[in-house]
Amino acid sequence: MDDAQVLRAGVLPGPSTSVRLRRRAWRGSLQGSEFTWAVAFLIPYAALFLAFVAYPVAYGLWLGHKPALYAELVSEPIYQRTVVNTVLYVGIGVNLKMFGALLLSGFFMRRRWWVRGLLLVYVLPWAMPALPAFVSIHWMLNGQWGLLNNILWGIFGIDGPGWLETSRWLALGSVIASHIWKWMPFWTVILLAGRMSIPQELYEAAEVDGATGLRRFLHVTFPLLANLYLICTLLSTIFTLGDFNSVYFVSGGGPALSTHVLATLGIRDAFEIGRPDLGVAAVMSALPLMVPLVILLMRKLRTTEVQL
Amino acid sequence: MSRLSRRGVLRGSLGVMAAGSLARPFIANAAAKTATVWWTQGFVPEEDASFRQIVAEYEKATGNTIDYSLVPFLPLTQKIVSALTSGDVPDVMEYNVADLALVPQYAWTDKLTDLTEIVEVQKSQYHPTAYLATQCYNNVTKKRGAYFAPYKVFVSPFHIWNSLVEKAGYRMADAPTTWDAFWDFFKPMQKKLRDKGTRGVYALGLQPTTTGPADGNDTFHAFMIAYGGNDIVTPDGTPHLDDPQVKEAVTKALTYITTAFKEGYVPPGALSWTDADDNNAFHAKQMIMDLDGTISTELALYHKKEQYDDVVTLGLPNDNSGRSVPAQLGVGGVFVPKGAKNLEVAEDFIKYLIQPKVVNVYLKEGLGRFLPAMPDLVKTDPFWLDPKDPHRSAYTRAGLLGPTVPNHPVYNPGYAEANAQQIWGVAAADVIREGMTPQAAAEKALKRIGEILAKYPIAAS
Amino acid sequence: MIAPSIDGSLVRRRPNYRLRRSLTEAAALALGVVVLIWTLVPIYNIVMVALEPHGDVFTNDIWPANPSFESFWIVVTEGYWYLENFWHQFGNSLYVGVATVILTLVIGSLASFSIGRIRIRHGWLVSNAALLTYVIPASFLAIPFYRIMHIYGLSNNLWSVIAAEVTFATPYAIFIFQQYGVSIPIELDEAARIDGASPIQVYFRIYLPLMAPALVAVGTYALLLAWNEYLYQFLLLSSKRSMTVPVALAQFLNSDEAPWNYMMATAIVYALPPVAIYYAFRRRMTAGLVMGGVKG
Repeated sequence: MDDAQVLRAGVLPGPSTSVRLRRRAWRGSLQGSEFTWAVAFLIPYAALFLAFVAYPVAYGLWLGHKPALYAELVSEPIYQRTVVNTVLYVGIGVNLKMFGALLLSGFFMRRRWWVRGLLLVYVLPWAMPALPAFVSIHWMLNGQWGLLNNILWGIFGIDGPGWLETSRWLALGSVIASHIWKWMPFWTVILLAGRMSIPQELYEAAEVDGATGLRRFLHVTFPLLANLYLICTLLSTIFTLGDFNSVYFVSGGGPALSTHVLATLGIRDAFEIGRPDLGVAAVMSALPLMVPLVILLMRKLRTTEVQL
Repeated sequence: MSRLSRRGVLRGSLGVMAAGSLARPFIANAAAKTATVWWTQGFVPEEDASFRQIVAEYEKATGNTIDYSLVPFLPLTQKIVSALTSGDVPDVMEYNVADLALVPQYAWTDKLTDLTEIVEVQKSQYHPTAYLATQCYNNVTKKRGAYFAPYKVFVSPFHIWNSLVEKAGYRMADAPTTWDAFWDFFKPMQKKLRDKGTRGVYALGLQPTTTGPADGNDTFHAFMIAYGGNDIVTPDGTPHLDDPQVKEAVTKALTYITTAFKEGYVPPGALSWTDADDNNAFHAKQMIMDLDGTISTELALYHKKEQYDDVVTLGLPNDNSGRSVPAQLGVGGVFVPKGAKNLEVAEDFIKYLIQPKVVNVYLKEGLGRFLPAMPDLVKTDPFWLDPKDPHRSAYTRAGLLGPTVPNHPVYNPGYAEANAQQIWGVAAADVIREGMTPQAAAEKALKRIGEILAKYPIAAS
Repeated sequence: MIAPSIDGSLVRRRPNYRLRRSLTEAAALALGVVVLIWTLVPIYNIVMVALEPHGDVFTNDIWPANPSFESFWIVVTEGYWYLENFWHQFGNSLYVGVATVILTLVIGSLASFSIGRIRIRHGWLVSNAALLTYVIPASFLAIPFYRIMHIYGLSNNLWSVIAAEVTFATPYAIFIFQQYGVSIPIELDEAARIDGASPIQVYFRIYLPLMAPALVAVGTYALLLAWNEYLYQFLLLSSKRSMTVPVALAQFLNSDEAPWNYMMATAIVYALPPVAIYYAFRRRMTAGLVMGGVKG
């Protein structure tokens, strides 16, 4: 076998001891100049971190450290409803979004001119600034004169409901849909990049073995994407927990404060009541949910071996 | 759509120059210093141009430099909070609703400089309600003091489409002058208009919303005061939530608003209207009338003469027994945070700004969206009561010549928090969506307010 | 049935191959239509508002009654007072965007190279520390950020915004690069090192080219973050000349009644450049597929 095949063999299923031994020889302690390089490469980020992350995060944590704040927070009647909303918003929003992104990243791999054109249209929601986009959705969903109900009436003859006005669940659903509309393109692009890194040879080898379509996805694509997918899901969860634009501009927390999430509640406490400490406490109260996710994420990042 | 018109700017500059030449600089020494100022961006470009001119005149007269930023209103709130929390503050901050939010709370925590001296000098010129609105309670010194220097005020008048009223076969001249009858006057118009083909029109622009900073609360408070509940918090800061008169007023207010909604006289979307939605709905003629702060609703139509003339601006009617109802006066002004680096210049600039002549020019450039806090100005300057502009004159009468009361947060900052929690909007929603009785919803709301106000005990002095 | 495959060898295919292919094509087409409608309806609303003359925004029409491009013209010619400095602010946004992309990609890829390829000991500590950036949502870190920019003397300076955006984009970049780099065999690095390449040469010759798809994806992310982010740009920049377009857009929420058509037209004009930039760089995303044999 030539070198190239040996190397490729190291990636595909099946052990190859000669490659493994060679690998171990490099893995030991780093030699002098290499270590210097490694440190040098880390310095830019370390500097960034020390200059811009350490103090703000410490300050933020300090703002929200008093237990009394949490007692005050929980005593607000709106809090429990907000927690439920947040769990639904993040749980449904993130999972639908990521699943859709996975599906569509496969779709966008197709090499057709119209698919490539569609991709450009598809990323428009991501490219649009959040403020006008969500204000527009707020108008679109108006029960009396919004575009959606106009279309439903004009084309299908259906009298659409007041999406943001009548029921909490309808409004929450609308907010989740808006969030997915805006952010799914982003994750699709990331997963698309992930798919594009899968060597073509793997697909060809799989085809030789007779796997196509779903089997190919399950046995070749997904194992290689799994880690990326998981990390994206966890990061998306963290981002979504802090996302207040969607709720704020689409439903405004309405109707009757029933669709608030922790992020919007925190912003309200920070800027409308003038109590940033209470606001930080609101978002940090999601930590018990977040910390296991973060630990999982850290463990996953440590695992850099591809399990095939 | 307002565009920066050269004529407008010229007019504004001439006016300010005239005022500037009459104003005397207060600073004695010649050492030039800089002060940073955060100012609310104007509603029309002429307002901003006028402010720039005022600053230029001040700089010329005193040799100091003013480093100012014109910031839109909602972001300004965030900027002020960030500055006061982080401690990196400018020297002067200006706020449209200084008596309603932020200033009472930050005065409570002693984050603002006491401006009593400056305000006292002007006291005789201020409208008594405006003066009263400056007396915020400082929980560290346990005293009240003037924590902002007011210069503009506003009230919430009615805005009514005359054409819709007449199309329904009524005349505004026939409108009753007592509270319930006035509101009821518009109800039958809805059916008449719909019968004539205007689909989707509603009679009453009530705002039982829980979104947006103030509109939901404004609507509710207007009703509450009309029914005699103004003493829910008295000027000494004590809450009177168990007062039977207050309870009755609150219940009646909730009853009227929610009944009108349930009977279909209010656009269903009103439950989740954001700050701009009610204005959008009004301009789209989705409702015949609404109650909203300042005359910005009309001024947005300033360049569309026909529509501008079509809207009727009215002050509040009397209460059901015929007595006049005081309007809640919103007061805007400037304040100085503690830790301002150029206190001297800041205070000097403020003294310059709150001179009646300077205020008059600035507010006139803003097309009179805000009224001056000095009632004498409207008596000497014909602009304000000009009979040729019925909007402005009605607005001026309601705000400066009629009975007014300050907003409650000044008495007790806890009420600002209660406002921010949209308790009244929630109460209305409880009745409309959860099927609570108005009595039960009122009790729940009052209980919640009590819990919040308990966090802000004010010692009786 | 037996048919030729890409490399010329004969391959057994599943029965009904052609039927399955056309069904898949039809399904793809249907999915494409769904995606198109889903994406475009809210955007259509934005376009519709932009095309309508002010005052007609809230009607029951599906198609604007009197469409006019006046609002776009106003944006492009800076004809409204909120838009007075539009092109200058646009330039600011571009400056911030490009600087953010370059810095994020450089800092992020260097760090992930060091952690993931050179495998520095305890490199995972850096990744985990980076994660701390996200524990508190960005909206709350705004207040201390505002303070430190003041301390560093960067108030009202575009570089304070760039620093903030890079701070939030880089940890994410590091994670994605690391994950992406996993599917690039470490043996390639080792082969190069056997040949005597220094780490920096491995970085430039092997790592970066193979990371191209991830660089494009993360670069687009960084660009859009800086392009559309509003809170920090607003807090850290005070004057009209230093403002960026998202801050200018927020002015429309200043008054209760604003020309929404101008606001939406501005949003559309502003959203197009990132899409164009993404399109220009999309070709690079396919670089990974060129991976084939490695010369020994």
